[in-house]
Amino acid sequence: MIKRIIARLDIKNNFLVKGMHLEGLRILGYPELFSKKYFDENIDEIIFQDVVASLYKRNQLSSLTNKISNHVFVPIIVGGGIRNIGDVKEILINGADRVSINTAAIHDKNFIKDAVKIFGSSTICINIETLKIDNSYKIYTDSGRTEVNINTFDWIKEVQDLGVGEIIITSINNEGTGKGFDINLYEKASKLSNIPLLAHGGAKKPEDVYEVFSKTNVDGAVVASAFHFNYYKELLDKKDIHLTGSTNFLKNNNNHPILFGIKNLKEYLKSKKIEIR
Amino acid sequence: MKKPLAGIINISINNILSIKRALEFVGFNTIIINEDQNTNKLDLLVLPGVGAFNEAMKTLNDTNLIKTIDKYLNNNKNFLGICLGMQLLFKESNEFTKTNGIGFFEDKIESFENYPVYKKTFIGWNKVKFKANFFDDKDQLNLLQNKKFYFVHSFFANCKNEKIIGGNSFNGKLNFTSIVKKNKVTAFQFHPEKSGKNGLSLLNSVTKNIFL
Repeated sequence: MIKRIIARLDIKNNFLVKGMHLEGLRILGYPELFSKKYFDENIDEIIFQDVVASLYKRNQLSSLTNKISNHVFVPIIVGGGIRNIGDVKEILINGADRVSINTAAIHDKNFIKDAVKIFGSSTICINIETLKIDNSYKIYTDSGRTEVNINTFDWIKEVQDLGVGEIIITSINNEGTGKGFDINLYEKASKLSNIPLLAHGGAKKPEDVYEVFSKTNVDGAVVASAFHFNYYKELLDKKDIHLTGSTNFLKNNNNHPILFGIKNLKEYLKSKKIEIR
Repeated sequence: MKKPLAGIINISINNILSIKRALEFVGFNTIIINEDQNTNKLDLLVLPGVGAFNEAMKTLNDTNLIKTIDKYLNNNKNFLGICLGMQLLFKESNEFTKTNGIGFFEDKIESFENYPVYKKTFIGWNKVKFKANFFDDKDQLNLLQNKKFYFVHSFFANCKNEKIIGGNSFNGKLNFTSIVKKNKVTAFQFHPEKSGKNGLSLLNSVTKNIFL
């Protein structure tokens, strides 16, 4: 099986943002610029997530997706605040290949069933945000703001019964921290999943991605901070005028001492005999 | 030089824009075709599609687009089928219910269900082995041979006619046809418009003759 490397871009008000534990957002720049760079470096897929959409009850990514599809010719997944068939249609018309749904799936299972029927299962992807407390995993909605009293592994089984084509699991504990992937989570989840499963949260170095591919059966790894900060630093070093937002955090602290690009990651995985594109 | 014109048949909203953008990238002007119409001014007709075979055929029949396609194919003009658009060119499919296709190619579309495959629904990248004669240009063959392209499908063309096979791929142990080609009709099971730079390069080479 060819493993996929996926970049996730969190978007707020048309800017690429990144935070810790889905909180404390920092503006990094224009998503058009970052996605073009990732396409040029052979990314396999890109996720755009509207991180405030659920909160404001709307997804603002249609026009962004439309613009991005001018220069990104790999699959695009769009998520955040997608609540009904009309929302899905709007996103697909504007160039997305799949939508990812979290909050609405929990509140309205018929919506998911209908969406699968209308757009095909491969178009509908479920995004699960999970937090581990005292060894038990619970799901969250609204970008990690609201706890839902459902066990993560029960939910993984249930969404497959709804007919969806793919599951992305974000570990809230590890996301944005650089702790590496939560191997136990993905090991258990991939045993329960008959459909493709993507791991998101915690990749700090290429070895982390290798670990999740070699120890679990996930189909792809989703990386955000490591790619973003790597490119951000490159722009900073070149004093690129496209740069926006505060740059002090990169100069002053060592939160992300190891940054890696898509090329480095793919070369590393190839050397470790992981089959990738 | 005036850009050649590609018509994109609209049978499902999924991925029309991606195909439009990819064709524009390789140098076409594009129009979306929603109903039966005169295609004399087209240099290329593209049949994309994501979804179920029977629903797509129903749409083609209801809109009379089936006539547009038949006429176009009979006139031996440049035609490109993508994903479901490739499958629809075959004689029949059993997806949900037995449905007749356009019938440009013999043979049937079958489910992965009954075959020794790795995934019954395949989403992701897969290698394509091109036939040596698929490209006119040897360099292009060397560049793209065994490269990975993006597939999303649960059905495949069980193609028995070696002469029309342009390339094949594996799902588990099953060796299936991922490209068919006959005269000026080329069709891909995968999505060249979503297959990165190699996909664009492939689109470029299969439409190259139009630009000469």
